[in-house]
Amino acid sequence: MAELVKVTINGEVYEVEKGRLLIDVCREKGHAVPSFCYYADLALQASCRMCLVRIEKMPKLQTSCTVTVTDGMVVTTESEEIEKARRGMLEFLLANHPLDCPVCDRGGECELQELTFDWGNLEERFIEPKNYQPERYLSPMVANDPQRCILCKRCTRVCDEWMGEEAIEAGGRGVATIISAYGDWLNCSQCGNCIEVCPTGTLLDATYRHQARPWELVRTVSTCTFCSDGCQLALGARGEEVLRTVARDRYVNGINGEFLCVKGRFASHPFVNHEARLRTPMIRYRKGGKLVPATWDQAIEFVAQRLSAIKEEHGPQAIGIVGSPRLTNEANYTLLRFARDVIGTEHYTATDAFSLVPFFENMGAPLATHRDIRYAQTILLIGGEPEELQPLTGKQIRQAVRNGGARFILINSVPIRLKKNAAQFVHVRPGTEEAALLALADADSVEFAARKMGVETSEIEQVRRALSEAQGTVVIAFGELSPAAQKIVAQLPYIYADDRRRFLFHPLPLFNNSVGVHDMGLMSGAMTATEMLDAAGKGVRALYVAGSFLQQHLKGREEALSKLDLLVVQELFETATTEYADVVLPAASFAEVDGTFTNNAGQVQRVRQAIPPVHLSKPDWLIVASVAEAMGARFGIELSASAIFRDIAANVPAYQGLRYPLLKDESRPVQVKHEIAQRRDISGEIETLRATIAQADETAAKITETPPVGHELFKLGTLTEKLPQFHYLAAGNPKPENTLASSPLVQLTIDAALRRQRQEMALAGD
Amino acid sequence: MNPLPKEIEEEIQSFSPEVEAEIDRHIAKYPVKRSAILPIMFIVQRERGYLDAAGIAYIARRLDLTITDVWEVATFYTMINLKPVGKYHIQVCRTLSCQLLGAEKIVEHISKRLGIKPGETTPDGRFTLSWVECLGSCGTAPAMQIGFDYYENLTPERVDEILDSLKE
Ligand code: SF4
Ligand code: FES
Ligand code: FES
Repeated sequence: MAELVKVTINGEVYEVEKGRLLIDVCREKGHAVPSFCYYADLALQASCRMCLVRIEKMPKLQTSCTVTVTDGMVVTTESEEIEKARRGMLEFLLANHPLDCPVCDRGGECELQELTFDWGNLEERFIEPKNYQPERYLSPMVANDPQRCILCKRCTRVCDEWMGEEAIEAGGRGVATIISAYGDWLNCSQCGNCIEVCPTGTLLDATYRHQARPWELVRTVSTCTFCSDGCQLALGARGEEVLRTVARDRYVNGINGEFLCVKGRFASHPFVNHEARLRTPMIRYRKGGKLVPATWDQAIEFVAQRLSAIKEEHGPQAIGIVGSPRLTNEANYTLLRFARDVIGTEHYTATDAFSLVPFFENMGAPLATHRDIRYAQTILLIGGEPEELQPLTGKQIRQAVRNGGARFILINSVPIRLKKNAAQFVHVRPGTEEAALLALADADSVEFAARKMGVETSEIEQVRRALSEAQGTVVIAFGELSPAAQKIVAQLPYIYADDRRRFLFHPLPLFNNSVGVHDMGLMSGAMTATEMLDAAGKGVRALYVAGSFLQQHLKGREEALSKLDLLVVQELFETATTEYADVVLPAASFAEVDGTFTNNAGQVQRVRQAIPPVHLSKPDWLIVASVAEAMGARFGIELSASAIFRDIAANVPAYQGLRYPLLKDESRPVQVKHEIAQRRDISGEIETLRATIAQADETAAKITETPPVGHELFKLGTLTEKLPQFHYLAAGNPKPENTLASSPLVQLTIDAALRRQRQEMALAGD
Repeated sequence: MNPLPKEIEEEIQSFSPEVEAEIDRHIAKYPVKRSAILPIMFIVQRERGYLDAAGIAYIARRLDLTITDVWEVATFYTMINLKPVGKYHIQVCRTLSCQLLGAEKIVEHISKRLGIKPGETTPDGRFTLSWVECLGSCGTAPAMQIGFDYYENLTPERVDEILDSLKE
């Protein structure tokens, strides 16, 4: 417990923790203080001077955003003197502002506008000409109107402290200072967090330019559908169309604050109302024939009959059920019940990139929340590349180091960008990350592992020492690992256990509901996705797939799908998998359904319906339940997503006792209770790992190039390719001839060469 | 860090061993590399005449910064030239004291004599005229600086004498 001090604010005495910022304390106690440049958890700036207060015994008014409370402090936040100062400050901030709120996208949700209502003067006294700056684009995602800038530098600080990119900065000097980048073109990960935190209309979402006014939009708080971090966001819909995604923290207050990455912010909604969405159920009546539109009744009947017939003829094991780490827990759970209770097959799985079953079975410590990562004292990252694949985790690690002084140890074969923040970087040979785990678990293997990894034994000893001497919270994060390595990592806390430290885990799976699909049990079926494809036409005669196979599954097995007697696919779009489907059922996207996703911190968060299902699509769970009903089985859960969740809570131990109302508040996410495993014998796994690592090439060259920003983020996928701007990024984000004339996108469509390149990339992407 | 644009990448060169050593000496002086940015900017400007894209990229590479970081600093100082300047760079102070004591008139005079406005260079490449911020010579205002030399208590006549005295 921190020391308490007494402060008097406007005559009232409060006891608060010593060392807190005065502005926070004032606000918490209900004394409003206006501010622009102050932003929680960023470096202090104190440039806008809106937060001026009077502190007794101090000369002049003080900026409450930089003063920490001390005992006996007497503060006034409201007086004539303060009002005069604040009005004066605001007049200066507006001296150069074009006052064009009616045509500004930020109008209606602009902090500058709001504070001007409170502290602005009716008339401007400045008669000097304003310093005109033309509107322009800083990237395909970021539109910029420099004249509206008040130089609070929130944008430059988030770019630097959250993203570690230092891509946007203040150039020039004095009245001509301008927020921009070298060459006036942003060469960065395009997260758009600068747009989000800008309190004015200076930095704007270029993909939503002049599309709507904020008060026309109905906001729905939901969970992002890309990576496993599970950021909270608000979908803004007008009528039945989702027009934008934001995380502005006055709308949403989730684990990510105002943070989102390029996918979450810009690509979360364009696919929802995209013209390529499947419109009706479709049936291919004969192999090689065309898909013919059908009614739902026809399609469901068709599927039910064919499945029953195949079950009759070849037995239940001939039918494979495939869920997806993209779908809600409700959808995947319904699929599991369909597989077990209706079909009676052991052959169920999900199309995840890798399974985390061995990890969860042996997990010797709880999962870390993103907040735990931000405040951890030691962070060990083995493999993975969170800045590209789980950007929120990347941001939390960066802030833990930069703003929290954490010790960050990175073990990777690729010098990823986070290396910049690492206190220790163990640069290993390609594919030998797991040797490091072996060395951490088994003291006798240190020399052998170091030789294979191409590092000094002292480097490994240093990591071992860091783990055994660490105090406080230690977060172990890891990317894809083999089953044996997963078990070893999961048991590390027992090896390094001590009262002085608390171990937490942070696995880095790739999809929004990778952990959920594991929890629902779909990953524990008798076959993996690739095994199922390999068995197609042999043991497996029919596949029921919700979502699509990944490229990694289909690669080299393209023929497999055509060998099936029956392929049923629930999808949003036509994909490589629907090409072979006998029945295609249009599914509703995350914006059209209720449900839950479980993120890589084990937090189960709500997905909420923002618009009704587009065209004739239906929620995935409803489709499955309808097929089940047509086959004569009733789950008793057909009625609503919340009823399915009750069923989940009754049958999945980690979710016991949960209900939707408990998940209502996104600012207090609920972590499910994954069982903590006892200490296990891992000697077998150590042997396995030793054997695999023994095969590693001791002469292999190390990877010395840091991969460029966006090499994973900007890859075109089924969802991201629906946003034209993404093609621009995927094509290398070249600076257009003229950033003023029109949006880079218009120039892109004119430029045929780029368009061709874009198509090629779309074909190559997955 | 983000990769540099291709054209720039190709143009970055390194300097002679002596200059590289000089740069290393500056970097060694500071606990963090990035702090050496100003002295190195001056060296690069001295070597290349001005700070162009390649120069900025060179500094970014040398100090582990982004090019935008270097751009931010470079655009702040009037002492850093982002465009080529003439043999004689005439920098006239425009801050308060000089302004009150007739800096405008001095610039007008130079403009007329050389036929260039502030920010421009004579066609023969001999002179560049610039406004700069306080030269720290307020007591002897109006003041100007040509290259690294100071000239104070200026009058149009004094300016003529000074310009006449400059070698070809
Ligand atoms: S662009 Fe916005 S966030 Fe950045 S300094 Fe200007 S007002 Fe502040
Ligand atoms: S909020 Fe304190 S100076 Fe801007
Ligand atoms: S005002 Fe010109 S030197 Fe200071």
